[in-house]
Amino acid sequence: MLRKTFTGLLAGVGFTLVGVASAAAEDLTIFWAEWDPANYLQELVNEYSKVSGDTVTVETTPWSDFQTKAFTEFNAKGDAYDLVVGDSQWLGAGATGGHYVDLTDFFNKHKLSEVMAPATVKYYAEYPSNSGKYWAIPLEGDAVGWAYRKDWFEDPKEKEAFKAKYGYDLDVPKTFKELRDIAEFFYRPDEKRYGIAIYTQTTYDALAMGFENALFSYGGDLGDYSTYKVEGIVNAPVAVEALEMYKELYKFTPPNWGNTFFQEDNQAITEGLAAMSMNYFAFFPSLLNEATNPNAKVTGFFANPAGPTGVQSAALGGQGISIVSYSKKQEAAMKFLEWFIKDETQKKWAELGGYTCSQAVLKSAEFQNATPYNKAFYETMFKVKDFWAVPEYAELLSQLNNRLGPYVVGDKGTAKEALDGLAKDWTETFTKYGRYSN
Amino acid sequence: MAMAAMTRLDPGSRAASRGWSDLAIRNMFIIPTIAFLIVFNIFPLIYSLGYSFTDYRASTNQAANFVGLQNYRELLGDEFIWNNFVVTAKYVIVSVTGQVVVGFGIALLLNRAIPFKGLITTLLLLPMMMSMAVVGLFWKLLYDPSWGVINYVFHLGDFAWLSNRDAALYAVAITDIWMWSPFVMLLSLAGLSAVPKHLYEAAAIDRAGKFYTFRRITLPLVAPILLIAIIFRTMEAFKTFDLAYVMSSQDTTELISIRLYKMAFQEWQTGRSSALAYIVLIMVLAITNIYVKYLNRVKER
Amino acid sequence: MAAVRSRGQLVANRAAIAAVLVITLVFLAPIYWIGSTAFKPRALATTVPPTVFFAPEITPFIKLFTKRVQLTKPVDEATYNAAPWWEQRILDNGERVLRTGENVQLSAYPSRFMNSLIIAITSTVLAVGMGTFTAYGFSRFRVKGEQDLLFFILSTRMLPPVVVAIPMFLMYRAVGMTDTHIGLIILYTAFNLSFSVWLMKGFMDEIPKEYEEAALVDGYTRMQAFFKIVLPEAATGIAATAVFCFITAWNEYAFALIMTNRRAQTAPPFIPSQLGSGVIDWTVIAAGTFLFLLPVAIFTFALRGHLLRGVTFGAIRK
Repeated sequence: MLRKTFTGLLAGVGFTLVGVASAAAEDLTIFWAEWDPANYLQELVNEYSKVSGDTVTVETTPWSDFQTKAFTEFNAKGDAYDLVVGDSQWLGAGATGGHYVDLTDFFNKHKLSEVMAPATVKYYAEYPSNSGKYWAIPLEGDAVGWAYRKDWFEDPKEKEAFKAKYGYDLDVPKTFKELRDIAEFFYRPDEKRYGIAIYTQTTYDALAMGFENALFSYGGDLGDYSTYKVEGIVNAPVAVEALEMYKELYKFTPPNWGNTFFQEDNQAITEGLAAMSMNYFAFFPSLLNEATNPNAKVTGFFANPAGPTGVQSAALGGQGISIVSYSKKQEAAMKFLEWFIKDETQKKWAELGGYTCSQAVLKSAEFQNATPYNKAFYETMFKVKDFWAVPEYAELLSQLNNRLGPYVVGDKGTAKEALDGLAKDWTETFTKYGRYSN
Repeated sequence: MAMAAMTRLDPGSRAASRGWSDLAIRNMFIIPTIAFLIVFNIFPLIYSLGYSFTDYRASTNQAANFVGLQNYRELLGDEFIWNNFVVTAKYVIVSVTGQVVVGFGIALLLNRAIPFKGLITTLLLLPMMMSMAVVGLFWKLLYDPSWGVINYVFHLGDFAWLSNRDAALYAVAITDIWMWSPFVMLLSLAGLSAVPKHLYEAAAIDRAGKFYTFRRITLPLVAPILLIAIIFRTMEAFKTFDLAYVMSSQDTTELISIRLYKMAFQEWQTGRSSALAYIVLIMVLAITNIYVKYLNRVKER
Repeated sequence: MAAVRSRGQLVANRAAIAAVLVITLVFLAPIYWIGSTAFKPRALATTVPPTVFFAPEITPFIKLFTKRVQLTKPVDEATYNAAPWWEQRILDNGERVLRTGENVQLSAYPSRFMNSLIIAITSTVLAVGMGTFTAYGFSRFRVKGEQDLLFFILSTRMLPPVVVAIPMFLMYRAVGMTDTHIGLIILYTAFNLSFSVWLMKGFMDEIPKEYEEAALVDGYTRMQAFFKIVLPEAATGIAATAVFCFITAWNEYAFALIMTNRRAQTAPPFIPSQLGSGVIDWTVIAAGTFLFLLPVAIFTFALRGHLLRGVTFGAIRK
């Protein structure tokens, strides 16, 4: 038996080698991070290989190294990757650094700004904002949503106790105030049960994305994306309130929640640690899978709640696909994109588990009923906002981590001080890059 | 220069007249290594020294502008950078001290007739055979307050090692101590086994106290090699990156190498990160120099 | 010797042996934990209290070697039954195997592992080889500014990898050596060379000059004497040096991450990527770590006699 397997594995190796050698047609490589959507994409492009003869390989690297690896290759003007499914923040660097091929003509020819959901066009494809220049095709839509324990929420005893304590019914939270109350209510360290799981890691964009959920729903902003004004915006009173709320939520997290991102937040649900958990929609499939989540049957999902003024928004995740300007197979890559944007491809993409950005597919009842969270995803995708997409975004992220991290996790200083410091750092950075001179 | 001055062996020996000359052999043996190191270490260093005076960013196609000492000035005036240095100093002291105490302690215990001594010593080396990044990952699992083994075994409840601002750095240092004490142990064992037995016997005959024997005989004789171990470990601890990066993401665990990595490979501030790299290099050189001076003094004694 | 055999000494000796055993167990516990997790069913990796006894399975290794994806809906029974046993293990875990046509897609692990072997072995041979020659040169011939040169060689080890990484990266990019085996081999050789020279110099100094002199008198050339007399004498030192160099090259992470992509990347950056995206699967990471520890552990154990003797030998400085 074992021998058969090994023969199979060896045959696999052999096939791969032969495949490379006999590739009369082009052999395209797409670079993305290591996660399920990349695997779904691999399956999707296998279909393309059948119709076109071109082989397409999806090459992946862990999320923590994705940014570094992609840009190392770009900066080396390397042609290892023909296409890259890059984070939305990279657009500025990709466009102004000359790493991405200008896709404006392609975009207009296929009227993609009408085909794809508006937020995805705005944040995944266009740079600078409102310039009408496009650098990517929206590929994987994503935003932050919430998973929760339905069984805890629906337990009659809990419902009764909650009502007695807070004066309203325990249900899926509609506002951040309710979210906070529920988190506090379920925070029971003695029972090894905790209220809420949020993002706190400060190595890349985790903390920023987490904070944005509160900030945007509170009606706040990170700054004015066209004038680069940040003073008085990112440290406005609503922003301070939002940050205080985020810090408040941290109190109700499971122990050791100071270095967390998507894996930890999913684990909070699978291990039965938390009542509610923030995460990107793209990470929810494993919560529905009984083999990976023992609580799969009792896990529910909801969209990011509204702030005190009723504004409801969320942090955008997701990526568009761009052609790398150093690729020697740009024509084949372009042909691939033509295939990728076809309606039936987008439909197939959604079926395989990818989050299409195609409006038609998103709006179909079929898509919305496919999973328990697709509807929440659909609703969220039309009210999301994103982080800065300027080339210096990584410095902006570092500064946010420096200022906000110690406050949220470390109890250092006040929200106002943290955000004032951030506004100062960001203004300095924008000044350094001459953003105010024109 | 006379060839005779080049060799310690008898220049008149017949060897010199057969085959290659000693001079040729010496040059052939030494020059490639030096040249290799110059090309792959010194050349990059000069390269980055140049960049440290510019605002160059490797991520754009724009040319570098000369900015003089601005990078250095800004870095030395940056409170976050200073915090990184303080964290690094704490980390180096805690982790190297720990490694020396634990490693030397084990070596003292092992320095006697013990069944399976060779096997045990080799087994103890296993931790240092692993990749730092993977070790960091697994210790994260071990430290986890909800399902980790450490808190379970020591009944620590939900003490959050890696999220606790004060404990996190020590938690990382403990992992480093676990990983690298064996290295100190190995070198200490070497030093200990080199102490002539007759010295101990003489001390025993003089009825010298245990502590006295240790201080007056063991320690001075082991000191040189122990110092070599300390030099290597200090240099490595100063450079620690993957371990702390994987395990914790707080400002109290952000070692200077982590900041350097972020600056160079996330923010792509090539010029500024080169400047920071130089500041770090000068510090390591200075510290090592002090050690090496001290080492030479110890050796002379 | 009488003092050594006294009662008190005997007790102290026993206590020391007991302490050594306890310490060894404590040090090995985390490694046991990694090894045992590699054979655990996924659900047992994070239990409270921790699971120590369980029925081992090789599912983590099957997963390590294949490209898998989350099941979005359960598979039907016919498909399940038609699948080979190893694929059923994967299906049991809520995942399915990716295929191109009929062929199972392998994960990057086997090819990364091969890269690791090629790069670590070659660079170790080079570093130890060059180190041995250079150490011999320093040990036997008068070299102008010897101390300075040796300190220079040592100082190359002080550079934080990131210091050299940027210019190296720019240099490699200029000559097209990013993502090549030779690129990493050169880097690791440069990195290990200083250590190798220092360690080997210690060994060379210990080999009596008289051996070669006798050989020279017997009509050997200097080179013959070096290869036939000195090298065999230095075997122990070479083995010890090789172990250290191999450990360093085998586990290097930062350069492998920055300098290589798909063609030449080694395994250390790959193993953490098995964290996956949905839920952390500790068993697969443990399996990857366990397999990756084997070559270096086997190498060290095979040379352990040399290593222990070797370190002692080279360490006795004058």
